[in-house]
This record gives sequence, structure tokens and C-alpha cells, in this order.
Amino acid sequence: MNRRWAAVAVGAAARRTAADRGALLMTAVFHLLVVSALGSLWRAAAGGETLGGYDADALFWYIVASEAATVPVAMRLIERIGDDIADGSIEVELVRPVGVLALRLAAELGATLPRLAVCGVTGAALGLLVTGTAPPAGAVALAAPALVLAVACNIAAQHAFASLAFVVRDARSAWFLYQKLVFVLGGMLVPLELLPPWLAAAARSLPFAAMSYAPARLLSGEGEPWLAAVQVAWLVVLTGLAALGFAVGERRLQRVGA
Amino acid sequence: MGAPLAALRGAVAELLANPRALGLQAGIMALNDGAWIGFWWVFFQRAGTVRGWDFDAVVLLWSVLTTAAGLVLGVLANARRIGQMVTDGSLDAVLALPVRPLPWLLLRRIDGVFVGDALFGLVLFALAGDPTPARAARFAVGVVAAAAVLTGFLVAVESLVFFSGGGRTGELGFQAIVLLGSYPVDVFPAALRVALHTVVPAAFVAAVPARLVDAPDAGAAAALLTAAGGFAVLGWALFTVGLRRYTSGSAWTRA
Repeated sequence: MNRRWAAVAVGAAARRTAADRGALLMTAVFHLLVVSALGSLWRAAAGGETLGGYDADALFWYIVASEAATVPVAMRLIERIGDDIADGSIEVELVRPVGVLALRLAAELGATLPRLAVCGVTGAALGLLVTGTAPPAGAVALAAPALVLAVACNIAAQHAFASLAFVVRDARSAWFLYQKLVFVLGGMLVPLELLPPWLAAAARSLPFAAMSYAPARLLSGEGEPWLAAVQVAWLVVLTGLAALGFAVGERRLQRVGA
Repeated sequence: MGAPLAALRGAVAELLANPRALGLQAGIMALNDGAWIGFWWVFFQRAGTVRGWDFDAVVLLWSVLTTAAGLVLGVLANARRIGQMVTDGSLDAVLALPVRPLPWLLLRRIDGVFVGDALFGLVLFALAGDPTPARAARFAVGVVAAAAVLTGFLVAVESLVFFSGGGRTGELGFQAIVLLGSYPVDVFPAALRVALHTVVPAAFVAAVPARLVDAPDAGAAAALLTAAGGFAVLGWALFTVGLRRYTSGSAWTRA
């Protein structure tokens, strides 16, 4: 494998995901269902007024983006990685000429990108249908890369969490806690501006906001490009933590059985 | 009823064989439901009352939904697996037995995760649902009716696999009814509200029975009971007719 292995891994995984039309359709329908439900709820709550600075349309676009950032990512990735570590099947990856973590990150990102594209398109269509207006072009231009960064942060964080399985052997339940952190502290269900102040302050200082809130805030029309810079910083930190966890874990890994 | 009860006894024995895992799974699901109640608390702190729904009403909705869904997805866990069993041929195992297939199948497997849902719903109603004897009775009837609607709907959409030969209609139907049922029905646009009372009867799985606990209404109660009977018959009919089209997978050991 040459230096282009990362692009090859991303491309191969993306083609595999894109080939499963049925699964993509399920992702699109699920995304539409969630956005319809949650978006309708927030629109009804806002009525003709604003909530936390968001009007009804801005809240709907917020939900379109917050869900587009999270629905495509395999939420039980932590469980899957933990199982691979616990049952030893990760061993075969150690003999490859590239790092286990790097290859896994590239493949997972590639597998997620087609789902992200589908959610982006379906969410945009629903948003236009419901609100009747598109977000400003500048907001879309900022939100599009922020969505990719959000997905990358999420995948890196799940690998960092899952690396605990090298130590505790059973990280299966961790995905559940992680999911709730993204839902609430990540701003997936509620814009951070609408959380109680103490909780909003905590959420802003944690990485979960980079996984949902950042692209949602940007698409809702708030011109805060520094949010993308925060995402990049968290991506570096989370990837570093995952690398550390895997490096330590791979040294601890002991083969059991034949 | 001997065979279905025997199946249920077996399922309960399997479930209780690993009490630690059961406790962990049920606890995790209860934690999940608690997180959603936290979301609704935050929501209504900011939004006040939304189209007639406040925090107390949504807590009641969630107590009905989690209890009914917990009973169906937990105790009748195979209701969600019929499609998969048809496509991989594992229905063969039940067809070889001298029992009526649908009741036996539905009672054969309990999913511990969703037992946590049911327990959460009961505790939530006991703590926050103002459980007077009259309200508790309406809650119990509403939960049973909601469970019948959900079971009938899930069996019906899963049985479509008999006719289509594959696909994900069962999973899609499950996601749609549970997800849409967890929101107050009045926040949705009018056309979607009609769909939630007919095609995907999510309103009858949560909002309608929850409202009946607070405000008894003969018309709404009749509609709920009609939906319960109608979807139960629909599920049974689609499974029974579909089963005639089933071809063996030559698998005799899984069910």
C-alpha cells in the first residue's frame, strides 16, 4: 500500500456504502422523520417569536443540520470497535503496513460521507419545503465543511472512547452514554442557547458541540466562522487522544488462545 | 393457550438466567428514557405550553409510550423479527411444532432492554402521573390498547415481507411509529396528523391514550379501541395470509 492508502480506504468504503441503496434510503427516510418531528416541535414552540435568538425558520434549519451531522454516523461504533478489541479480531489489522487507527478512521469516514450527502440533500429539500426560504449562501458555504468536520470529530471521539476496551475489555455500554452526551451537550436536540446557562457553559467547553452544534449554528444563519476553527482544534485533540489510546492499547494487547 | 404460555415460560426462564445482564440492559434503557424526560423539561422551560401540551402532559405521554412499547418490544420481542425470520427461513422451526405460529412466535422471546422501558413507564406514572384509582385504571386500559395497536402494526409491516420477498418496511415502520409517537401529535402539520391516526397509528400508541388519562372522552376512547382491534386483526390477517406464501428455508433450529 503506498502513501495514497488513506484516499484508497476512504474511496473504497464510500463506494461500498453508496452501493447499498436500500440502506441509504433507510438513512434518508430516518433523517426526514427525525427532522420532521423535531423541526415541527421547535417551529411550534417558536410560533411567531424568537427563542434564544432563533426564529421558527432558523430553528428548523438548525435541526436539519444538527441531525445531518449525527444521523449518518454509526452511533454504535464504540460497541463495534470494543467488540473487535475484546474478541481479538483487531489482531489481524496489526500486521497491515498502516496503523490500525488511521485505517479505521479513514474507512469509517469514507463509509459515512455518502450517508452525509444523502442527509444533506433530503434535509435541504425538506427545509425548503417547510420554511419556503433557503439559508443565506454564506451560511451554507460555512455549514457544508462544518458538517464534514462534525462527522470527523464524532468518529475520532468514538475511537477514543472505544480504546478503553483495551483496558476494560467491555466498552459496549459506553456508546449509550456517549450518544446522550451528543444529543444534549452536543446541541443535537436543543440549541445550546436554549439550555440552562450553567449547562450551556459546560457544553461549550466540551467536544460534543463540535459534532452537532457547530454546523447547525452556522446553517441557521449565525455568521460565526470561528466555530469551524474550534472544530478543527477538537479534531486534532480527539484524534490525538484516540491515537494515544490505541498506541497504549496495542502494546497491552495479548493474544489468547490458538 | 398451553403452548403460548409454555413459550412465555421458556422466554422468562431465558431472561432470568442472567440477571446481571438483564439489570444492566434495563437500567441503560431507563437511563435513556430519563434523558428524554430531561430534554422535555428543558424544552418546556423555554417554550411554555405548545398547542395545549405542557411538561406534565408530555410526561404522561411518555409514561404511556414507554410502558406500552416496553411490553411489546420486550415481552413480544419477535414482533420486530418476523420479517428477518421470513427472509432467512428460520420460521421453519415454529412451523414444525404443533402450535399456532403467531402467538407462539410472539411470546417466544423477551428482550431485556425493553423491559427497562416498561418499568420506567410504570415508575414515571406512579411518580408523576397523579395515580388515583380512576386515572390508574384509564392508564392501564390505555396501555393495553396502545400495545395492541403497536403489536398489530408491527406484525402487519413485518408480514409485508411475505409478499415483497425482502426490504426494510418492518424496520422503517418501527422507527416511524416509535419516533413519531414520542412527540405531542398536535405539533405536526394537519396532513401528518391524519397519517398518524391512520397509516402509521403513532397517535394511538401514545398521545390519544395519554389524553384519555387526563380527560376521559367517549369518542376518543371508542377510536382508540377501534384502532386497537383493527390493527390487531390487520396484523393477524397479513401474517396468516402471508404465511401461505412462505417457502421453507430448511432451517430447523432457530426461532
